[in-house]
Amino acid sequence: MRKTLFITVILIASLLMACGSSVAPPSDRLSSAEAASRSAKELGANNDPKAQLHLKLATEQIDQAKKLMADGDNKRAELILQRANADAELSVMLAKEANAKTEADKAQQTVKKIKENK
Amino acid sequence: MRPALLSVIAFSLIAGCGNALPPKELVDARAAYQAASKGPAAQQSPAELHVAKQALDRAEGAFSDEPDSAETKDYSYIATRKAELADASARAIIAQKDREGAEKEGINLTADQLKHARSELNSTKHNLEKTQDQLAAEKLAREAAEKKAAQALADLSKIAAVTKEARGMVITLSGSVLFATNEATLLPAAMVKLNEVADALIKGNPDSNITVEGHTDSQGQRQYNMDLGRKRAESVREQLVSRGVAADRIKAAGIGPDRPVANNTSAEGRANNRRVEIVVDPGKH
Repeated sequence: MRKTLFITVILIASLLMACGSSVAPPSDRLSSAEAASRSAKELGANNDPKAQLHLKLATEQIDQAKKLMADGDNKRAELILQRANADAELSVMLAKEANAKTEADKAQQTVKKIKENK
Repeated sequence: MRPALLSVIAFSLIAGCGNALPPKELVDARAAYQAASKGPAAQQSPAELHVAKQALDRAEGAFSDEPDSAETKDYSYIATRKAELADASARAIIAQKDREGAEKEGINLTADQLKHARSELNSTKHNLEKTQDQLAAEKLAREAAEKKAAQALADLSKIAAVTKEARGMVITLSGSVLFATNEATLLPAAMVKLNEVADALIKGNPDSNITVEGHTDSQGQRQYNMDLGRKRAESVREQLVSRGVAADRIKAAGIGPDRPVANNTSAEGRANNRRVEIVVDPGKH
């Protein structure tokens, strides 16, 4: 009887552990989402409305994912972080686009000025 | 209700179950991918577009496995971002190319302008050199003219008394050297001397106005002396003109006894007063 109880406890414990550790904490995804957000910020994402929007979405989802991880819901956190990553990467590209357009405008203005000086 | 209609409705319901309506996220993702694949991304950023296609496929897979799952929505959400990223990437590449093109054009334009400025500078330099050459030539010519004038003055000084006065350079020739007493015809020796004077005038003062003045002493009638002075002045003028002094810039004037340079009471004084003065006007030099 005692032996049966012991085995049952072990079984339940292992099941619980298996459930909790069935999905590892998505630390790598979290790091890469945070890194992409930092890149977006450094590229001036806050100067472009679209880039700013996606950076904000990424930041919110990273916070959400952190809460889910704290609650042990790694599986859901993993997907939320994938979304955050997609938003952060989009923000990076939008910031790059805005910068490239600014530079192109500058160069074209310079050409215009040179032509006027002729 | 008729059985046929009933069966149609039943069939529709069953069919509806098999083909569940896609969530809004997936509809958005499909549209985003469609837009990106038809835009510049196909040309400029095919790799990003391929990633977007994979993301969309995954969303479609999740939808066919579990139409209403959170995963379907998440993967659709991600697929939308990937499609937008491909699009943004293409626009960034185009902007970069625009910039490179403008910079190249700017460099070419600047080079053209530089070339133009250089050629202008060269032509300015060339003109300056030409002007300098001209100035140098003019300076040489002026120096030569001055030397010539100085030489002519030196030549004159050997044959006649030359003084500088307010009315100009005055060449004084003694009456006894030029004419016999009471005569207005030049002595042969005088002609030789006047020719030398003419040469010096042509050489040294080619543009000056010249006045030949005939002066006498006060002996005898004034009118006679006036006539004699005028005739002698004209003789001298004619000789100078015959030697080549331009006739229109030389005139003769009879002064007679009116402007003595010495006392008429002594023979020496009277001899000094009998003279011809050639006045070279400095005004037109």
